[in-house]
Amino acid sequence: MIVLAVDLLAPDAGLIIWIGITFGALLLLLKKYAWGPILSAMTTREETIHESLSQAEKALAEARQLQSDNNKARREAEVHSQAILREARDEAERIRTEEVDKTRVQIKQLQDSAQAEIEREKDNALNSLRNEVADLAIQAAEKILRENLDADRQKKIVDNFLGDLSKN
Amino acid sequence: MMIKRASIFLLLAQLAMMALPPVAVAQVSKEVKEFDALHHSANAYYLDIAPFHPFELPRIFVVQHKDGSYGLDLFRSTTSAILNGHYTVDHSAGEHGPAKDESHEVATDGGATAEEHAASSGIEVTLEDIEGQLLAAEGSHIVLDLSISRHLFFAWLSMALLLFFMTRLAGMYKRGIGRDSAPKGLFQNFFETIIMFVRDEIARPNLGAKTDKYLPYLLTAFFFILTSNFIGLVPFGATATSNLMVTGVLAFFTFVITQLGGTKDYWGHIFWPPGVPAFIRPILIPVEIMGIFTKPIALAIRLFANMTAGHLVILSLIGFIFSFAQMFGPGAGYGVAPVSVAFALFVYLLELLVSLIQAYVFTMLSALFISMAIQEHDHGHDHAHSVGHVSDHSETVSA
Repeated sequence: MIVLAVDLLAPDAGLIIWIGITFGALLLLLKKYAWGPILSAMTTREETIHESLSQAEKALAEARQLQSDNNKARREAEVHSQAILREARDEAERIRTEEVDKTRVQIKQLQDSAQAEIEREKDNALNSLRNEVADLAIQAAEKILRENLDADRQKKIVDNFLGDLSKN
Repeated sequence: MMIKRASIFLLLAQLAMMALPPVAVAQVSKEVKEFDALHHSANAYYLDIAPFHPFELPRIFVVQHKDGSYGLDLFRSTTSAILNGHYTVDHSAGEHGPAKDESHEVATDGGATAEEHAASSGIEVTLEDIEGQLLAAEGSHIVLDLSISRHLFFAWLSMALLLFFMTRLAGMYKRGIGRDSAPKGLFQNFFETIIMFVRDEIARPNLGAKTDKYLPYLLTAFFFILTSNFIGLVPFGATATSNLMVTGVLAFFTFVITQLGGTKDYWGHIFWPPGVPAFIRPILIPVEIMGIFTKPIALAIRLFANMTAGHLVILSLIGFIFSFAQMFGPGAGYGVAPVSVAFALFVYLLELLVSLIQAYVFTMLSALFISMAIQEHDHGHDHAHSVGHVSDHSETVSA
């Protein structure tokens, strides 16, 4: 086992120096010419991807916002239009009832005036009738006075008069 | 030497695979070609590209001459150092010495130049020599051995691969692919997934807002370890991360970064643990100070041991074929081969998994240690009121 140790573990200062120098050089060269460009490129790419993603997300959010805005506007417009419609309907209803009321009032007025006319006509007719009757009574009394006849005769005259009257 | 080696790997195999039957080491015959798990796991100064001749790597030595002056010796290979540089193999060093006579010599039949030199100088350079410790020519001694070893070669290979592929990947991002558009193609998607994993699963949960500062280190460590681990699983490859020196340096980087990032809270916790009775402090403070160092040491040893163990187990399993052949004849070797290969394949797949896990674990723990050091917080313990105003102060200062 001592032999093994000597063979495999023998110190070798030359090798240490060579490896130390060349590995250090490799480290510096790779850092400058390989890892630097590679890692920076990878970082740039990742940042680009990250940026694009966040931009896409932002755009998506904006689109969503826009859509919801549109929806809201549409709903508002709908509500508005319905309100207008309802208002118009109410207005129409109001106008109709107003008209009906007005008509009813007019009809009532017409009826009232007609009634008044009729009353007046009736009064006129009654007055003229009354006058006629008074005249007729006067005429009948006149005739009785003029004839001055017996009772039978008077009775006959009155009957005749009344018979004439009913004929008129 | 061979008996010793065989016994080592058999012992290892038995340790690793307790279920397998013990083998009588003494029966191993000397004539059969050596199979040594350690040769493949340990570091060396050549690339094993069997069946071809090993490809020797350059040797670089800082030497101090007899007169006290320093010099730099460069050689194309170990053979060249021996033949042209008057370097000698230290046969007395380590375990190579006493067993030397028993080892069979591997001729350098593939290297034409080596043969030429050998012919001219009359010295024969063997593989044994290449693996041995070199001594500088008379009077001078090696101060520092900067030779390109096998593990260093494969560490550099994985660094080169990383640089090549990662700068290409960065080029794609620079052109806008993956920055302004989706990542395109298997290559980019594959690596981006891993990079994102390190960033989002390892760095961020631990480091939070300071992720960007430490991410380059974590990515470099993760990919270097992962690549090195995988290269070790490729035929003819070696695992740089199965070398304690390599993992030690990696852990040292984590250590330095951790200490440099350390906040008041972190140091306060170490040198004056809050909420602890005064008589406990003399015990706790040394423990906390030790903890600064044990964390990276554990990192280094964990990675090293994990990457070495898998290879040793695989090589030991394959070694069973040869041990059985030696002990009970070729038939036994053939008989045990399917079992060995099946087990080795299983361990190989396990190693694939371990390669990923260890890269993850090292990076994860590095991130964790760094996060522990950079934290600024009101400790939620019962001592909060006693030190509450202090940490409040430090928070406002750092904010």
